[in-house]
Amino acid sequence: MTRFIIRRLGGLIFVLFGVSILTFFLAQVVPVDPAASALGSNAREEQIEAYRRKMGLDQPAVVQYANYISRLVRGDFGVSIRTRRPVIDDLRDFLPATIELTLAAMLVTVTLGLPLGILAALRRNTWLDGAARLLALAGGAMPIFYIGLVLLGIFYRQLQWLPGPGRLDSTLQPPAHISGLYVLDSLLTGNWNALRNAAAHLVLPAVTLGAYSTAVLLRMTRASMLEMLGQDYVRTARAKGLAESAVIGLHVFKNALPPILTIVGILFGSLLSGAVLTETIFNWPGIGRYATTSVTTLDYPAVMGVTLVAAVIYPIMNTLVDIGYSVIDPRVRAE
Amino acid sequence: MNLLHGPRGIVKSMAVILILGMLLSACGQPAAPSAPAAEAPAAEEAAAAPSGEVSRAETLVYGGDFTDLITLDPAVVYEFGGTLIVGNVYETLVSFNPGDPTLIPVLAESWDVTEEGDNWLLTFNLDSDATFASGNPVTAEDVVFSWNRAIDINLSPAFLLTDVCAMTTESTTAVDAATVELRIPQTVSPQVCLSVLTFTTAAVIEKAALEPNMGEDMGQSWLNDNSAGSGPYILDRWDRSVSVTLNANPNHWAGIQPPMKRIIVQNTPELANLQASIETGDADIVFDLGAEQAAALEGNPDVTLVKGLSLILAYIGLNALEPPLDNPDVREAIRYAVNYDDIITLLGGNAELVQEIIPIGFLGHTGTTPFTQDIDKAKELLAAAGVAEGTEIDAIVPNGTGPGGIEWATLAAKIQSDLAQVGLQMNIQQLQSSELLNIYRAQDGKMVFMNWSPDFPDPDGNATPFASYEARSLAWRNDWDDPQAIELSKQAAAELDTERRVELYAELVDYVQHSGPYVMLYQPTRVYALRNNVQGFIYDPADSPVVSFWLIDKQ
Repeated sequence: MTRFIIRRLGGLIFVLFGVSILTFFLAQVVPVDPAASALGSNAREEQIEAYRRKMGLDQPAVVQYANYISRLVRGDFGVSIRTRRPVIDDLRDFLPATIELTLAAMLVTVTLGLPLGILAALRRNTWLDGAARLLALAGGAMPIFYIGLVLLGIFYRQLQWLPGPGRLDSTLQPPAHISGLYVLDSLLTGNWNALRNAAAHLVLPAVTLGAYSTAVLLRMTRASMLEMLGQDYVRTARAKGLAESAVIGLHVFKNALPPILTIVGILFGSLLSGAVLTETIFNWPGIGRYATTSVTTLDYPAVMGVTLVAAVIYPIMNTLVDIGYSVIDPRVRAE
Repeated sequence: MNLLHGPRGIVKSMAVILILGMLLSACGQPAAPSAPAAEAPAAEEAAAAPSGEVSRAETLVYGGDFTDLITLDPAVVYEFGGTLIVGNVYETLVSFNPGDPTLIPVLAESWDVTEEGDNWLLTFNLDSDATFASGNPVTAEDVVFSWNRAIDINLSPAFLLTDVCAMTTESTTAVDAATVELRIPQTVSPQVCLSVLTFTTAAVIEKAALEPNMGEDMGQSWLNDNSAGSGPYILDRWDRSVSVTLNANPNHWAGIQPPMKRIIVQNTPELANLQASIETGDADIVFDLGAEQAAALEGNPDVTLVKGLSLILAYIGLNALEPPLDNPDVREAIRYAVNYDDIITLLGGNAELVQEIIPIGFLGHTGTTPFTQDIDKAKELLAAAGVAEGTEIDAIVPNGTGPGGIEWATLAAKIQSDLAQVGLQMNIQQLQSSELLNIYRAQDGKMVFMNWSPDFPDPDGNATPFASYEARSLAWRNDWDDPQAIELSKQAAAELDTERRVELYAELVDYVQHSGPYVMLYQPTRVYALRNNVQGFIYDPADSPVVSFWLIDKQ
């Protein structure tokens, strides 16, 4: 098991190496003079020259790449052109917001999609199955921005049951920065006011972002369960008098799980990309909004930073899914 | 049921993501106690506690699009959102009262302008009562330090000091603790330079507070999270891309006691969210609503709408070296081809028709609107200039929304159809505004859709860029090198007699109107919405902090 994980993490290093080459040379072809843009439009020629020398921009591309990597290893992602501060600081501020939102959406997905999918399969062709499938259809068909606007319109503007956009009410101060996840941080510091408020602020964006993945997971779970329910060994299990809960739990669900797990992994990726839209609608100060603003202002150090982070998250998710497989299915480990 | 089995992978994955987030946060903030956070709740809580409880009734939430906020350092700030905050935290030697173009004393209780050889000598006597929020007195040394620092940093707004005022780090001297001398060449108008000194770039920073925190960037990053000013407010915290919190300065030297003890400047870029936040009362004031949102709020009993003209002018630049635009008659024909009334209608009334280079609200604005759409006249002019039917002209247009809340693309399409009526074919290319500016600044544009807002509240802030090729600004970008316009702009800037100055600007406005390389389109309004209990809100486009928070009260 440990060897398996080490092997996967070793692979991750190669992926990161490839991504770093890609982002570096992408930055080389962007039609922006890094020195001129870092120093602003009034910089004198000699200032620009001095900056080029200081940052090694007068060196050949290969040397520059080596410098870039050595800076990366030290956690130096460069300085954003737009925000004029280290990209790593920007990421530290904005990434936790996205992670918190994505985790909350994942929670919505798993707590709704999985049980509803199982129930729909077990009560096939009843009203419950119909309702679940309708929900899946709606969640899968409605675009994120539409769901977001409708939810905001009903629960914030009309009923005022839930707070509006943002991570906290503007009059509240965020909890002390530990992980950057407000719910977790306010829990750790015992800041109950912030905890209630942050959790309430999470509800609408999490449901919005999680709607599509809930729909997919629901359908996938239902299909996978149904397939297993029709298998011969299930009939055998029932024939030998096994309790129904044992049949479902040990035989059906466990075997239905691998494809579900795959979907969860893939969905996590789609949640991250869906976060861009959700963050815009809900004024969520996350990395998605940061990325879009950076792209539209040709802020290439920021774009490179975001790309690298995304490139780390995806393989890690894949690795986790693979580890998950090996937990439920020993055959994978033996490979 | 064996449900726990399934989500175990998910739980694990969440844990790893969590750790990833923590790692990142630890990377960026080496001082943070990262790992055993739960063990030190007492210390954490102390850090988290709000700096003094302030009730909602004493808090003003001011919402709008503050995506442009990148710095709170007076020497660097050049964005709308940044000047709003810096203008409430820092003070300048002199300033303007809202709606009045007469200079008033702030940190300087009096000042003199005298001639000294080839120079103007500006002598400022500082107010002996003036102190920073820290309690330390504001001295001449702080003034010299602040101005020289802005010149040394040399970012966006530095040209105001170095170009408009022709200042160097040698120009300012501290004669004694309360006297500052500034020497500028006689080619610069002292009037214009004094106007520049009202801008946030010339704000005074406390040297003793900043010096120990200069670091490698002369204190730029320190000033983003701390303030060292003498204004009615103190910077409490800046949560990037979320909000900026200001607290009232409890011992302001001139005795200003802001009714609002806390100001929260809230970044809400989405117009629908902005509208919702004023409807629900989450925000007390919101600004820059679109025509649609303003219409929806009309008649809301809890909300008052305030409309005010901005100082922005929307225009089209016509490159004076690019055929056929090099012929002044062709440029005049284009001005006659445009249907200006339609454009105002397109803007939903959120704009005034202005056809000159000086906006409403500035000295020297003439109010002349010589152009109304006249297809026959435009065709005549084009025929006389020998421009064939169907001649193509390339136009570059920014992406996104232009002043007054109209899409640039919509505006361009309107002009395109107007020009088609006189036989000109305008090709539209839409670009990211940063890219467009690169082309424009390199003098490579033909027709360029843009807007201009003056850098300081003086007609010269418009006249010189629009008229003088030598200023390497708008006239230069449009390749319009016209000796008469250059001369007039210089004369008007340097003129000390106000009446004569107005005459000179009238002459310049008229000259540029017909000979210049511009189609001036409109001056947009800014729409503010206020909760009904908000009082004392004054909007003044010419006032550099734009909104003086310390004047605002709530019932």
